[in-house]
Amino acid sequence: MSKFNFPFIKETNELSNLRKEVRDFITTCINNNEFTPSPDAWVFSADPSFSKKLGSKGWLGMSFPKEYGGHQRTALERYVVTEELLSSGAPVAAHWIADRQSGSQILRYGNEKQKSSIIPRITAGECFFAIGMSEPDSGSDLASVKTKATKTKDSWKLEGRKIWSTGAHLAHYMIVLARTSPASEKNRHEGLSQFLVDLSLPNVKITGIPDMTGQRHFNETLFDNVELSDDSLLGEEGKGWKQVVGELALERSGPERFLSHFTLLDSFINEFRNSLIHSGSKIVGKLISEIQTLRRMSFSVASMLQNGESPETQAAFVKELGNKFEKMMIETLREFSNIVPLYEWPNQLQNLFEDATLRIPSNSLRGGTTEIMKGIIARQLGLR
Amino acid sequence: MIEELEIILETTSKILQKHVNHSLRQNIVSENTDILNLWNDIEKNGLPKISVKEKFGGYEIPFFSILPLIKIINNHGTPLPLSETILSNYVLSESDINPPNGIMTFATDTKNIQIKNNMISGDILSIPYLNLSKNLLIINEMNNAKQAILIDEINGEIIHKKNFLAEPRYDIRVANLNIAEIKPLNDKIDFKFLGAILRCAQMIGAMEKVLDLSINYCSERQQFGRALSKFQAIQHQISDMAVELSASSAALSAITDINLSDNNFNDIAISKIRAGAAAGKIIAISHQVHGAIGFTKEYELSYFTKNLNSWRNDFGNESFWEEFLGKTFLEKNNKNLWEYLA
Repeated sequence: MSKFNFPFIKETNELSNLRKEVRDFITTCINNNEFTPSPDAWVFSADPSFSKKLGSKGWLGMSFPKEYGGHQRTALERYVVTEELLSSGAPVAAHWIADRQSGSQILRYGNEKQKSSIIPRITAGECFFAIGMSEPDSGSDLASVKTKATKTKDSWKLEGRKIWSTGAHLAHYMIVLARTSPASEKNRHEGLSQFLVDLSLPNVKITGIPDMTGQRHFNETLFDNVELSDDSLLGEEGKGWKQVVGELALERSGPERFLSHFTLLDSFINEFRNSLIHSGSKIVGKLISEIQTLRRMSFSVASMLQNGESPETQAAFVKELGNKFEKMMIETLREFSNIVPLYEWPNQLQNLFEDATLRIPSNSLRGGTTEIMKGIIARQLGLR
Repeated sequence: MIEELEIILETTSKILQKHVNHSLRQNIVSENTDILNLWNDIEKNGLPKISVKEKFGGYEIPFFSILPLIKIINNHGTPLPLSETILSNYVLSESDINPPNGIMTFATDTKNIQIKNNMISGDILSIPYLNLSKNLLIINEMNNAKQAILIDEINGEIIHKKNFLAEPRYDIRVANLNIAEIKPLNDKIDFKFLGAILRCAQMIGAMEKVLDLSINYCSERQQFGRALSKFQAIQHQISDMAVELSASSAALSAITDINLSDNNFNDIAISKIRAGAAAGKIIAISHQVHGAIGFTKEYELSYFTKNLNSWRNDFGNESFWEEFLGKTFLEKNNKNLWEYLA
């Protein structure tokens, strides 16, 4: 029988009300010209003042406990809020990583000081995070990281380089995966640890890397013998691999894996509604069926997270299918240009389309490549 | 009721494990006593009337709740129309006709139908498993109203024996065939939607089997000095199958959990699109990773892939439902897409 189920979770009235509240707020922001909807906004569009505003609405750190300034709401409530933000192309990049994974990671593994000093600031939309996993020589092969943390008498010394650190130039902290003892011959996953690194510390050097769109969100982050306080270790020494795998489940299962370019689809349909009725209802139906299926799967994973399960594999399913859908969506719109030629599309829509076309190769790289997702699934099927 | 269903699922698995094997599937004729024995066990346990009203001697479990049973039946590759019987009996019962005992099948495609003096004449097309069936439900349309017609003694001229894709299907021509009962179809019932759901659940059951067969075969088959499953190219293809299957199950699960009363036609469309698309990919990949053995009659893979090919075409293929879904959104409201979806 089927090995991976995604039980159907119904959206309750409370959730629908919350959805409406967020939607109204966003509409007001757009009407007041507080932001212009943009594609891939959770990566590219950072606006700390917007993040702070979300914080004051109570929509960041939603599931965090009240004692740390959180709202003790469910993962399903958080899901609804993130869907509304993503589908409207709101500028959420500044806080996205902190709210999605770093905060939960600190709550799960952090000590009291880490929790009480950082979580309330994440919840307020004032504290941003970058991811410290990839390195120049370690991409998909994450366990091969060379960044090293060495214990001294009362501190840690951090030495190494992280790369593709999205938003590090705006972030206050990075959760860094580093080697604290050599890999054992049998198990490369041993001897890794996670550190909570204040990016304002001396000897941290952050350099921007323009991506192929010409924009900056990538960085290289150099740790040149950075002295970390003794309590910078996040969680248990040597258990970094297990911790990072859990973090990736949070990173991979959300609706950003299929709603990154929803603003393009929305504008496209609004623009060409009449032509689509005559010659494109089939392609619209195909896109709707895929989005709704993905939403159900991703919502189901949110419910698993809420129940304290570890849906790492299910997250890989969502990411893999979501990435495929986004590529298919852009190809589908491209084919429509056979009916209305591209040069007749309104300028803004042409820009959105070209932008999406340009950015789409990254969707199946960031957060783990297609090959890694398929590898995870194959392992769970007993093939590896 | 959930508990009752659990027990039924367990009992069904046991019955099917006992009776169904690949040689049974290669001899789908009414003279095959093994098929009759299987049916007798099924009927003894009340499975054909699982969704039939209690007043007609059924369990009255809603049709949407018994989809897990449909999956199990087809996961075992059961070579008789139990799924068709369950749906037909449900539709009869909902239309206030007492479903008879025995194997039942259905037909929705007809030509030149005439009804006179409680007798029916015309062509009745694409009837699955007619050769095993005692009873037939015909969904007929007359003056824009749908009727449920029960035939309990089938007699007609076979004009086309078809469907080399899967279970036998027949077109028959009947002349003055006696109608056992005829009533207006319950207006809550749209047979095309119910048929689409039935085929979805059947496809998912079969796709689960195809995935398992592929995993097992690739784990055992050695080439170039190692199991096929150790090749990354194979692992990735099988992962693709699992992703497609999970998406189909997720789409169908939106339907198992709602009542007929608030049943959402869009969810049914989505489910049929998703399962049909998945079946296409899963058929291709499973045959690819199996190599030549999968292309033989004696190995059971082809039984399942043939059925998948057949069911994905029934009750509207992906294009049909995509068109339906797109039109429903584009023509029937002015909402922007996100408001419509969420």
